[in-house]
Amino acid sequence: MLRIEHLNLTLGTTPLLVNVNLCVAAGEVVTLTGASGAGKSTLLNWLIGNLPTAFSASGALWLGPRRCDALPTEARGIGILFQDDLLFAHLSVGQNLAFALPASSTGAARRAVVEQTLAGVGLAGFHERDPATLSGGQRARVSLMRALLAQPQALLLDEPFSKLDATLRAQFRGFVFEQIARQRLPTLLVTHDAADAPPGARVIDLSTWQSGANHA
Amino acid sequence: MAQTLRRPLSFWLAVLGVALVFAPLLPGLVWGLSPSINSAVWHSLWLDPQVPQALVATLTSGLLGPALACLLAAGAASALYPGPGWLALQRRLPTLLAVPHAAFAIGLLFLIAPSGWLARAIGQFLSWTVPPAWVTVQDPYALALALALALKESWFLLWSVAAVLGEQAVAQQLVCARSLGYSRAQIWRQVLWPQLLPRLGWPLAAVLGYALSVVDMALILGPTTPPTVAVLAWQWLLDPDARLQAQGGAAALGLLILFAGGVALVRGLWLLGQRGRGYPKGQRQPERPPRWPWQLTLTAPGYAVVAVLALWSVAQSWFFPALWPAALTGASWHGADIGPMWTTLWLAATCSTLCLALILLWLEAGPRQANGWLYLPLMVPALPLVAAQYAALLHAQLDASVAGLVWSHALWVLPYTLLTLVGPYRAFDDRLTTTARALGCSAWQACWRVKWPLLLRPLLASWAVGFAVSVAQYLPTLFVGAGRFATVTTEAVSLSAGGNPRVLAVQALLQVLLPLLAFALASSWPRWAARHRLGWR
Repeated sequence: MLRIEHLNLTLGTTPLLVNVNLCVAAGEVVTLTGASGAGKSTLLNWLIGNLPTAFSASGALWLGPRRCDALPTEARGIGILFQDDLLFAHLSVGQNLAFALPASSTGAARRAVVEQTLAGVGLAGFHERDPATLSGGQRARVSLMRALLAQPQALLLDEPFSKLDATLRAQFRGFVFEQIARQRLPTLLVTHDAADAPPGARVIDLSTWQSGANHA
Repeated sequence: MAQTLRRPLSFWLAVLGVALVFAPLLPGLVWGLSPSINSAVWHSLWLDPQVPQALVATLTSGLLGPALACLLAAGAASALYPGPGWLALQRRLPTLLAVPHAAFAIGLLFLIAPSGWLARAIGQFLSWTVPPAWVTVQDPYALALALALALKESWFLLWSVAAVLGEQAVAQQLVCARSLGYSRAQIWRQVLWPQLLPRLGWPLAAVLGYALSVVDMALILGPTTPPTVAVLAWQWLLDPDARLQAQGGAAALGLLILFAGGVALVRGLWLLGQRGRGYPKGQRQPERPPRWPWQLTLTAPGYAVVAVLALWSVAQSWFFPALWPAALTGASWHGADIGPMWTTLWLAATCSTLCLALILLWLEAGPRQANGWLYLPLMVPALPLVAAQYAALLHAQLDASVAGLVWSHALWVLPYTLLTLVGPYRAFDDRLTTTARALGCSAWQACWRVKWPLLLRPLLASWAVGFAVSVAQYLPTLFVGAGRFATVTTEAVSLSAGGNPRVLAVQALLQVLLPLLAFALASSWPRWAARHRLGWR
């Protein structure tokens, strides 16, 4: 479970988001929407631990019993998926996945897990492929699996569908939500398009948390 | 063929302009270096008693200097990017880069020589009354030269790194890899450098080529008997004896071979490293905060150099071991020979303006794929090129002429102008030109009235870079100008051979001030012009 408590985000002295309280259950996808400038990327940066120095924040971030907001990005155990797939161009498809896999599996077992993961998402035999030779949909799938193989305790999605065309978009959305449900990950989806949200799930407009003064 | 001939006149003008700078080099290389293609010449080079020690000095300074520069730049980038320290460093880089090589070497001489400022600072604690008998500069292994090259070139490398780090994808990859649990140091090693290094190939080659063939810095900080190979080659090339000239040409070619060998070596090591990269093990290391003060390491020498030059230029008497001059005076400035400054000023202004015009024509109308060739002079050692220029000018009977001198500087000014302008120029939104054309402007009117005014800031910035490059030229000024034109650079280098440190400091400081003035002009003019136009960047 991911929980945000009493979060205030300010830029200089201007409040951006005020008293954000949010609880995301395991396997739940909560969608945050808002116009550009509403603070979507700032909130994401705070969640991942990459808040630019111009901003300041108060409040707590909990992952289960663990408080995370003071931890550096690499110690949080939160995975992130950006608009771009961000596959590492100097590694093969399989090596990209192996990069994410925890060190607990070693030797031949590592490669086996990666092969298995690839086969599980319809990319059997893609281990040695150069990521640049993959289609957009294939790259998107590898990118998600890379985030998941690191065994995160929560997942952030930063407009991950916006660069895909309509058909691919529907397919990949379904794929992402299926994987999230399978791994029971609390997930925050940030998007400008409310249609990206899974059916029946919570959608929250960021303007609910904007300061009353701006919003009267 | 008919297709290519049917290109517009402006295309041929653009090509002609650039060809005027480059084409005479080819016959020049033949005329200048053909006497050196002779086994007897190489044999006498081989037997020259100075060569072995000179080669050692060249190899230590030429390999150690660039290697240290890489370590400094890589260490600073890995520790500081992204963060406020990186931004602060990036803001200071243009100023540091504007300090010419010769002025930096002279300042470093004032700092690290046995009677220099550092020895005085140490001497305060040890009660020294005479300078220590240490060999800290002009040492036989050219370690002082290597240090100077390492510090100076690290700024250039950082500037190149900053250019590729400016992209959004790099910052996101860093966040992405950190969210997978890796520390910064690991991410730089395993993710960022492997992807960034192939794109840093040409700056690395440029640093290697420069370090192997540098003459001005080597004359100031390098060993003397014998000097480095580059200095040796240059002395021979200037000798009236044709046999020695040929030997100098051979030594210059030898530098080219060393350069090719160095590039092949680095490339081989890189490929080996690629091959040796194993399957990712997934081992996460804890983050360790950087302990080394990278920012200070990189900027402090630059500021210290300028400060010590400034202090010497106004010192009246300043004997060892005093930390501070006994009295300050403006006499060195009043009595300064400002002839070299005027020569430098008109030469650099003419050359950078001419090159900017040629590059504008080239970018607007020239071929789009041929830029790589224009960068060649930035990479290969300068000595053989200068020898070729001189030979070409002799044949055209233009040696020691103003036109010949401007032309010789253009070979280095032109590529740097292109390098700094090509990014912003290609990034210009072409819809604006289309809009202007649709409103009735001709293609050139659209450039003149819309595109170039909007690009004023990058245009002036690349003009200032060209100006600074021209100010710093030593070899072509001395060689092609046949000693008839003294610039602040040639003056500073010749004064560094001994004599009055105050006079030397004035010329070296002028060498720093002229490029800084150009940069100040290039940044204040657009700001003034755009004072009522917030969107005009």
